[in-house]
Order: sequence, then C-alpha cells, then structure tokens
Amino acid sequence: MYRYDQFDARFVAGRVAQFSDQIERRISGELSEDQFRPLRLMNGLYLQLHAYMLRVAVPYGTMNSAQLRKLAHIARTYDRGYGHFTTRQNIQFNWPRLDDVPQILSELAEVEMHAIQTSGNCIRNVTTDQFAGAAADEIIDPRPVAEIIRQWSSLHPEFTFLPRKFKIAITGAAHDRAAIKFHDIGLMARRNEAGEIGWTVHVGGGMGRTPMVARKLNSFVPHADLLAYLESILRVYNRYGRRDNKYKARIKILVREEGLASFREQVESEFSEVRGGVLSLPEDELNRIKTYFAPPEFKDSDARFDLAALKVSDPEFARFVVHNTHQHARPGYTSVTISLKPVGGVPGDATDTQMDIVADLVERFSFDELRVSHEQNLVLPHVAIGDVRSVYEALCAAGLGEANVGQITDMIVCPGLDYCALANARSIPVAQEISKRFGSAKRQEEIGDLKIKISGCINACGHHHGGHIGILGVEKRGTELYQITVGGDASENAAIGNILGRGITGEEVPDAIERLVEVYLGARSGADESFLNTLSRLGETPFREALYGND
Amino acid sequence: MQILTANELISGATVYFLADGGWGEDINSARVFSEKNIPEMEQAIERAQASGVLISVESETVRVEGSRVVATRLRERIRARGPTAPRHRRQKPDIHHAVEFTHVSL
Repeated sequence: MYRYDQFDARFVAGRVAQFSDQIERRISGELSEDQFRPLRLMNGLYLQLHAYMLRVAVPYGTMNSAQLRKLAHIARTYDRGYGHFTTRQNIQFNWPRLDDVPQILSELAEVEMHAIQTSGNCIRNVTTDQFAGAAADEIIDPRPVAEIIRQWSSLHPEFTFLPRKFKIAITGAAHDRAAIKFHDIGLMARRNEAGEIGWTVHVGGGMGRTPMVARKLNSFVPHADLLAYLESILRVYNRYGRRDNKYKARIKILVREEGLASFREQVESEFSEVRGGVLSLPEDELNRIKTYFAPPEFKDSDARFDLAALKVSDPEFARFVVHNTHQHARPGYTSVTISLKPVGGVPGDATDTQMDIVADLVERFSFDELRVSHEQNLVLPHVAIGDVRSVYEALCAAGLGEANVGQITDMIVCPGLDYCALANARSIPVAQEISKRFGSAKRQEEIGDLKIKISGCINACGHHHGGHIGILGVEKRGTELYQITVGGDASENAAIGNILGRGITGEEVPDAIERLVEVYLGARSGADESFLNTLSRLGETPFREALYGND
Repeated sequence: MQILTANELISGATVYFLADGGWGEDINSARVFSEKNIPEMEQAIERAQASGVLISVESETVRVEGSRVVATRLRERIRARGPTAPRHRRQKPDIHHAVEFTHVSL
C-alpha cells in the first residue's frame, strides 16, 4: 500500500500542529465558535447530538495492521471502545473530547492517518472496490489511480471551497461494487479497441434529497489525461455550481439543469485548454505509484474449497465460504469479508478488541492488508484458501463470524437519530429488529441475496435509494415514520428505488419487510431469480398491496 | 413551555440551563420558561452565547409531568437520555468548564 513520502509526512504533521493550535485558541476563548466551526469541520470534527464526532480518513478503504491497531487504541483510550465504519470507507469515533483531539490526530499521524477533507465542501475520500487488486474479475487495480487522485485533490487550491461536497468513486472491474453511479464522478476502467486501458467517466450521480444516477460523460479517457479531465469537470462545476442554495449545489443539479450535452461541451472546452499540460500523468510516475500496490508474494497453490464435502462435514463453515469469500485473481487465494453485521448488532461498529484481533489476522493471513467496504464491512483481501478455516475460527471467537455477506441482515445503516444532528428518525433500532427477525441462517438461505439499506433522513447516508428494499426515516408531527422503497440498485445497473406508499411506524417495519419478502418468495420463478428481477417482472403492485392492501 | 439546552465546549455533552442560573446535565432540573418569562430566557441565551463555553444554544419546547421535564421532540428526548441503541451513558460535561461558566453566568 502507499507509504507517505517526506512531503506527505510534513504536510500531515503541519496540519496537526495547526489544528492543535486552533483548538487551544478555541478553548482559551481566543476563537469564537463561529470562527472555529469551519476550522474543525475541515479537520473532520463534527458536533453531534451527544458529543463531538471525529471522522478519520481511510484512503480508498485500505489499511494495514498498524493502522487498525492505532484505531483500536484510539477507541479504547479516547473514545468508548468502539468505532463505526462508514459508507465512504472511513471510520468515525462518536465520543471524543475536544481537548483530546490534538493527541488523537498526533497519534494517527504516527501511522500515516489523518482526518483532513473528511468534511467540508471539498473532494472527499475517494472510494473504490473493496476487492481492488485482488478480484478475479477486474481488468486493472484502481488503487494507484485512486492514490493519484487523492494526491491531486488534497488541498487542491482551486477546489477547497467548492459549491458543495464532492465525491469520487473508482472501480477497475465491470461489476461495480463501489456504487460509482451514485457519485459526483464515477470512474470505471475499460479497454478500448486498441486494448489500452482507460476510464469511462460518469458524472452527476448522488443520493440525498434529489437522487440521480450518474450519466456517462466520456466513454474513454486515457490514464495520462485523467487528472486533466477531472480538473476540467471540477472547474466547470466550481464556476457554475449553485452556491446560492445548498440543496441545489451538487454537481448533479448542474448537469441536470445545464443538460448533459452542454455540460460536456464546457468540460471539453476546458479540457482542450489543460490537456497535455502539468496535469498529464507520465507513465513513469504512474509506474512509481503502482510499485506501492504491487501484488504480495503469493505462493503457488492450487488449493480450492471442496464445497460439496464441506456442506456435509462442516455446514456452518461452508456457509461462511459461500457468502464471505470472493474469488481471487490468484489461484489458491481468496478474499474474506468480515461481516460487521452481527444479528441484532449495530451495523458497521467494531470494538477495540475486535479491531486488535482483526489486525492480528491482517498481519498473519493477508499480507498486512485490510480493506473497508462501502457496505460497512471489513475485508482481508489476500487469504490463502488453506488459511480460511483458521481465520473463520478466530473471527467466530471474536463475534465476527457472521456468514451473512450480501444477505438480508447485511444492511447499510446510517447512525440515524441516535447520534446524528441531521437525522429525523432512528435507523439502528430498526435495523436491529429486522436483523433479529431474519437472523436465522435457514431463513436467510431461503431468501438469498437481498440488500436492505436504511437512512434516518433524506440526506441518505444509509444509501436507501440504492437498496433493493430501502427504508427512509422521516418525522411527522413528532413521530418517526418510515417510507419503504423497492427497486433500488447500487451496482452497474444503478437504479433509484420507488416509494411504495405512506410511512409506517418503526414497530411496523419488520412485518412490512416480511410481507415484501413473502411476495418475492411466492412469486419468484426459482431460487436463482433475484428480488430485483422478480420485481421487474411483476411490477410494484403486488408489493404495494402487500403493504397497504388495495387502498 | 420552553427550556434552554446547549453542548458544553470541551466534552460536547448535552447540558441544560438550570433553575439556579447554572448549567447542568439533568433535564429534570432545567428551568422551565413560560410565555411571560421569554425576555429572561432571551437574556440567558445571550449570556450563554457570550460565555464561549457553550455551543449550539437552543430553546426547546417541553411539558412538565410531575417532577419530570419531557421534551416534545424525540430528538431532544434522545439528547436527554443518550442513544437508544446501543444504550450508552450520556457524555459527561467538563466540570471545570461548568464551574467556570456558572461564575460567568451569575
């Protein structure tokens, strides 16, 4: 993985010193809250309902064991013994004290971590496929390009005060596991007719109160031109994005109002000015960055899982293999997903002890690499197939052995009104009740893969628009109500879910989900017909009627 | 009826303006302002904002049930009790700041 050079280390150390001084001046009264607020937000420090919240960046979701151990230490020493992994592949601490933040940032810097640009109207953490550099189906490892984008976008002088926050996702595989079409810019690798690899650029996607699927802006941008092209998009957005209305300030609104053709014309005009200039990416620089992401020293192996035998001899482990491993590009290896969705637990949370245990596994079994997925799980990207049983046993002992990846209890869930100052309704208790309702392995096997996503407000941090079943918490006359959507899809076939009808109470949600699931199970043509395909074939009516009858 | 609430600067903890003129963490000890006391409440807001040690100072609508003060909004009931799931204890306010501010406010 990428290691800081002297410039990076100096830059982060300088920022820690600067923000520490600002905190000191805030506590002494030299700075008012109005003066301090934008400074703390630029350093990932929010004020939530009960306390401050510090959001720490995990660039493109990649960490090593030392970094995870440091996060465990911070959770244990300065917080309440846990951290919350987010859909931007970052981690949040919910209870830090303001006067501890300088020391937290200082200790993070020791392991090349920080909280810069995890908030504010800037380019946020670039996210990617959690199996990047490991997946059998990718045509290129996107992490070197993600790292280059990170370097380009960190404190970019033009793009530190954009009209609104800006999110970029990148994938090197045709199967999109990074929800790129729900990003301001989504990049997908592809080969052109000459066999060269470049990037299809999508623009104007996003969730929130105005959900939109990104539209294709350019079907092929070569590596060398990518930064210049991104800069051109950002310049057009920075110039014309709506600064007068924060609800219309995202690039998706500009693209919609301007029209894709006109927007593209302006980007191309800008691109013609900057192409071939200082932002051209020389091949040798790309290769230099690539060396940080060189594949580990795999051993030759033809080990495979004998699933048929395992299902008889060790059915629980077989279930883990089926759901929590992903095909690796290298024979004899696999990627193991560690579910942070224990039945009845808090989605995305890991305790300090669990983080330490996972760090040990990262070091022993995964070439010191860990990933955070945007679906709020952890991934050991490179595990020898012969080691998976040992990993599984260690995970089970740590309460992390849930074999539910991709299933109905593997939900994306925002913190909701239990923590978030913006939320209108709680998300976590709703998720816990759904998880308990569908928690049995048998029930989940019967249903098959199904993605539920829950947001506690229209800002959609829980990605409900992209859920096969989405749940949106709203508040009406002092009561929490939940709107149910169906048909969302965050994959390469991205789609926004449709609301089925009026909101229902939190207590009614598990029964409502049960009824939707029953419609699906009763109507699907077979176990291999997905929820989305059944929905597409039948339309929404039977699902709506299952919730509301014929009224 | 209304109360005043804020977050204490160092801990970020939820605190309430109390009947004795100080700030504390128990909503049931919060001073409840009626319509006729609104000018006093506004003065208290100004003092709190000027203190520098309280942030997000806001008034909240409540009802009084015996010895309990109950916020109308669910958001405020959660602020008063802490997250509902998992059940974490609330953040403790920083004592030094609370004392310091009590002096400032009085």
